[in-house]
Amino acid sequence: MIGNDLVDLQQARRDSNWMRRGFLSKLFSELEQLYIMLASEPFEMVWLLWSMKEAAYKVYNRDSGLREYAPARLNCKLISISPTAYLGQVRINGCTYHTKSQIFTGNYVHSVASTSSFNLDGIKVSLYPLASNIDYKAMKPACVSHHGRYLALIF
Amino acid sequence: MENDELISRLKPIVGMYAQDKLALESLNLQTDFIKDLKINSANLVDVVLDVEEEFDIEIDNESMEKMLNVQASLEIIKVKIKEK
Repeated sequence: MIGNDLVDLQQARRDSNWMRRGFLSKLFSELEQLYIMLASEPFEMVWLLWSMKEAAYKVYNRDSGLREYAPARLNCKLISISPTAYLGQVRINGCTYHTKSQIFTGNYVHSVASTSSFNLDGIKVSLYPLASNIDYKAMKPACVSHHGRYLALIF
Repeated sequence: MENDELISRLKPIVGMYAQDKLALESLNLQTDFIKDLKINSANLVDVVLDVEEEFDIEIDNESMEKMLNVQASLEIIKVKIKEK
């Protein structure tokens, strides 16, 4: 099972004020808040962690059928950071999801999540401008995420 | 506080983030914040923070998890006002 999540960074900048009082503490664990504080670009780290949670939640939600708004219970851990990708784990209720995220500064953040760490590299990502009228359902993606200017499909 | 009064104070808050303005016009107890109003999930926390300010209450994470529709939100607001 795989899931994905895309955050359009320009849209996120318009829609949310991450420095608002209570924003971080309601959404992020102490460790995650530390990642944000230590990041060279805290704004990007906020949305990187958020996209990890959302991508993992999509898999969890499909597995469990549970629906709730519990971002603080999806616990992110960053395992490795390289110039090309952030590898991490997201835990919720005893389930662990493996994630791979990328930041395209100024444009977007994209994360994929999987129940297994082995198939992360095999996930194919297709990105489209949201305005394009493609019949993406016919392409049978494993998961879909759209935000702001983008549509991201994974296979 | 009665439901009508609570709803009249809740509606402008969710209205700030609702992308479906038509669904906002017909807001009722069953209205779902994400499915009906199309509120971005990252903005749900803003709804919770605005509700805290508007009603001068504190909403713990366990309560926040259930704040996905109008009915659940009203129940949580009532409980938290009583606890004050």
